[in-house]
Amino acid sequence: MAVFSRQRLQHEMSNLIERSRDRQLRLAVTGLSRSGKTAFLSSLINQLRHAGVEARLDLLPAAREGRLLGARRVNQPDLEVPRFPYDQALKALGNTPPRWPSPTKGISELRLSLRFRPRRSTMLKAPTSTLTLDLIDYPGEWLLDLPLLQHDYDSWCRAQAAHRGEHREAFMAPFQDAVARLDPAAEACEDALAEIAERYAMGLKQAREAGFSNLQPGRFLLPGELAGAPVLQFFPLNLSKAEQQSCRQLPDTSVYATLAARFEHYRKQVVTPFYRDHFQRFDRQIVLVDLLGALNAGPERFEDLSAALAQLMQSFNYGKRHLLNRLFDSRIDRLAVAATKADHVTPDQHERLVRLLETLLAEPLKDLRYTNVPVKAFSLAAIRATDVREVHDAQGPSLALSGHSLGGKACLFFPGDVPTSLPDADFWAHQGFNFASFRPRPMTSTALDHIRMDSALDWLLGDKLQ
Amino acid sequence: MTDHRPRPGRHFTDQAATEDSQAPRLRPGRRFDPSLEQTPVDHSQWDPDQESLLEASGGAAADAGPGAARRPRHGLFAAVGGAILLGTLELLTALGNAWTSADLLGLAWGGLGLVILLIATRTLISEVARARRLDRHDRLREALARLPTATADDITESTRALARHLSLDQDAPDWQALRDALEPHHDGQETRDLLEHHLMVPRDRAAIRLISRMSSETAVMVAVSPLTLVDMALVAWRHLVMVNRITRLYGLELSRLGRIKLWRQILHDMAFAGAAEMATDTGIELLSLDLTGRLSARASQGLASGLLAARLGLRAQALCRPLPFTDATRPRLGDLRRKLWQRLRRLDDTA
Repeated sequence: MAVFSRQRLQHEMSNLIERSRDRQLRLAVTGLSRSGKTAFLSSLINQLRHAGVEARLDLLPAAREGRLLGARRVNQPDLEVPRFPYDQALKALGNTPPRWPSPTKGISELRLSLRFRPRRSTMLKAPTSTLTLDLIDYPGEWLLDLPLLQHDYDSWCRAQAAHRGEHREAFMAPFQDAVARLDPAAEACEDALAEIAERYAMGLKQAREAGFSNLQPGRFLLPGELAGAPVLQFFPLNLSKAEQQSCRQLPDTSVYATLAARFEHYRKQVVTPFYRDHFQRFDRQIVLVDLLGALNAGPERFEDLSAALAQLMQSFNYGKRHLLNRLFDSRIDRLAVAATKADHVTPDQHERLVRLLETLLAEPLKDLRYTNVPVKAFSLAAIRATDVREVHDAQGPSLALSGHSLGGKACLFFPGDVPTSLPDADFWAHQGFNFASFRPRPMTSTALDHIRMDSALDWLLGDKLQ
Repeated sequence: MTDHRPRPGRHFTDQAATEDSQAPRLRPGRRFDPSLEQTPVDHSQWDPDQESLLEASGGAAADAGPGAARRPRHGLFAAVGGAILLGTLELLTALGNAWTSADLLGLAWGGLGLVILLIATRTLISEVARARRLDRHDRLREALARLPTATADDITESTRALARHLSLDQDAPDWQALRDALEPHHDGQETRDLLEHHLMVPRDRAAIRLISRMSSETAVMVAVSPLTLVDMALVAWRHLVMVNRITRLYGLELSRLGRIKLWRQILHDMAFAGAAEMATDTGIELLSLDLTGRLSARASQGLASGLLAARLGLRAQALCRPLPFTDATRPRLGDLRRKLWQRLRRLDDTA
């Protein structure tokens, strides 16, 4: 008969309990293009890898109390999702001169296994616990497709016609020319459609380059693995309601029917699977916003960013009657919104940055509060590129940032105040904003320097490290 | 007769409001010559010995909140000072007379009187100085309680004042750890968390250890002591010592007057705030009934006085801690009670 010592038995028990407990977390990071997703994830992985040694995570209680022992990369479970290019990102940062990591194009994933000592080790708890953390990075543009789920092709065309500003229209001119010459009733020609779709995608891309954000469909901007596939070769037609009615009778090979079929396919086979396979499995979510870039770009782009974010936040606003909740069962139980690149302004402006973010997201935040989704706003810099200095000149002491511009020139300046709400037209005409970009600091062997990553981490996973 | 007719509407020229709409001007960016004189904004440069505004008498925080500003008793000081001065003069003239008339006894009495007056003056001065420390402690507590909404300058000021209050010097390990952790971008709440962790938690731990030890010793002492009257005196003495040690742990050196003030506050809190707390700390009655049932009469007497000591200690700790407790960090009587009970059970079993 096997003799179990009491200790051994206790060990077995605690293992069993650990396994049966919820020790897994899927943390999703999103944001529109150039909001700093890659930098955020690289820094997050870097901080956790160095946790317990030299990473400064003082606002994360588990790290501050020395209970966080470290993290290790382990193999991810979803084999068909690309791995997050952490090593490439670090290599870019470690270059001389250092570069920002190149942006990721689609969804990617990385799994970390965190070791920590629980706050109170009782009889039934093991001395150390493990938290499996899945980090998922996906483009925020994909979330802008959520409204497509409510549309059919006709209503989508009408909706697209409705929100066209004069600036955006300019980018769409080549596409509009081509589409005006297209007869919806004609036999569909694969190449012609591809060409017009290309113009449409070009228009969207140019609009994005110019700083617009609220652009649909999202996969036209970041096609991921779908580049060149016919499912991305559709576009809205300018038809009146009556014309649309008559077009419904057209045969399946007509232009109208082809486009409508592709739209339907996109909706069913591209948008829905993302929500079904990925979105619905996220536990925590952080949305990154580049406010400074939007302020630089001017009022029209800023309004557009606001609209895009409102659209994007819809995905998290899953009240009982919400579309998403009827289709899938979402389970995100904590949400963070963060204004990135906080190191590009002086520390006294951080609070104003958060207030501007809250003003910008006032409506979605109200809805989220109503549906009782805990959400918190942060200002952070995933990888800090500047130092704060106090400069004394004729006008007295003043805070200033010191760093290197993207071109490599050493600079020292005060970037200006961040507004707490959107200034009026007069201000834009006279002053405007000009927040400069910095290049990352040379890498050292220690953890990356950051601003408030630790408090974001505390909000996103602190409760699992108790 | 008062007029009850509805008042008509009135127009005001809103000078302040129109000025205000232009007020929130956003400062534009400015470029500086990188060769300009510049100092890094870095907390590691902080020197805890530097006097902070909070400590300077009549500092900015003096007129802060209700109850903060206690009007100094100028009249009382003038009366006592005048009495001492006049007494000295009187004694000096008397001494002079005694000298000329060679009255040795009178000379001795005069000398004794002068020595007594000297001692009285010294005591008075040190009392006044220490009384100001208590005021400073109150001001510091208020400043630290306001931390979550404080501006950057206030944060720096309060942090320095706290370090000085705890008499930390440049090389103290907890001060160094705190400086490493603090960053210029930390806001008030974040700074508060860090102060709490680096400066308060080690002292809290020591205080709890002290309270736990002292209260269980008191309990045992009462349980085994044969004479009730001696018990009472001893217990009172031990309580005094415990509270003094706790105050010193949190950097508060009290004058006699200050001690009386503190005791009054502790007892007041125990009678009112403490009662409410006990009612919410559910299960205490139930538990203690159960416990006393299982302990001998003497041991349960010991338990009662030990519990009193623990309550007293916790109260004193809450009052002396420069950073007020939050609900999450407040130590509970329950933890101490369990230890007390275990100790007494052991005693009972061996007896």
